[in-house]
Amino acid sequence: MIRIDCPWCGVRDEVEFTYRGDATVVRPGEGASEEAFHDFVYKRANPRGWHVEWWYHGAGCRQFLKVVRHTMTHEVRAVARATEMPEVPAE
Amino acid sequence: MSVSNHSGSNHSGSDLLAPGAHGAVGGEPVRIALRSCDVVQVLARKGRAGDVAAALLGALGLVLPGPGHAADGRGASALWVQPEGWFVVAPRGADGALASAIKAACGDAASVIDQSHGRAVVSISGTRAAWVLAKSCRVDLHPSAFGPGRVASTQLFHLAATLHQTDAVPSFDLIVFSTFLRSFLESLTHAAEETGYVVA
Repeated sequence: MIRIDCPWCGVRDEVEFTYRGDATVVRPGEGASEEAFHDFVYKRANPRGWHVEWWYHGAGCRQFLKVVRHTMTHEVRAVARATEMPEVPAE
Repeated sequence: MSVSNHSGSNHSGSDLLAPGAHGAVGGEPVRIALRSCDVVQVLARKGRAGDVAAALLGALGLVLPGPGHAADGRGASALWVQPEGWFVVAPRGADGALASAIKAACGDAASVIDQSHGRAVVSISGTRAAWVLAKSCRVDLHPSAFGPGRVASTQLFHLAATLHQTDAVPSFDLIVFSTFLRSFLESLTHAAEETGYVVA
């Protein structure tokens, strides 16, 4: 069970949230190639280690949050509002 | 009391709350009741939260609370439910009157939606009320972590619910979708059989 310290609601259990994928993906600019858009939509890294990801707090404040989670241990190191970028540990 | 016969299609759930004492005897029973309330959702438009705060202070004497809290005004309470979004809860009045009053006060500063028919308010009170809720609630309701005037949007019995502690007894108002009220009451009364519960 992952516990996420929502910046709005406080510490809540994983079941209140929905995982919404990599939060570092950037939409290509206007006029970018088809390949760039293909990669934006489909291509994702699968890192072993710290990962910044979207979690949607549907059962609470209904906000999207950025969560820094370790993909091996599930440790949550930081949680930030959607407009912020949390600090990602080097290792 | 038959809880399995839904043929009567009683959406009010009142048949699930027959007046009297139910469940275990001789303990510390909780009190469960349906509260007849108006529930109005107020969502500040971008950059207009200050205008909404001024409007609701003027109209209802409400000082809009921050995350996790509620505040009482003149005959109504405001519950924080999301960033720059609140529920205004008041005893049931004329249909739509509370929403109209809030809409008039807020103008174009907020989206005001009358949820009075979409939500139901169930109250549970008693020294063991938090103990009963703990069977289904993942939020810590211990007095050291929660208390009067606190609000949490979370899940109760796997259903979306907004929980508002109204006093130190403790008493809680539980705001749920009215279409889930029957299911919610079945679960809540079942959970309260262990302490016993009283319906006024």
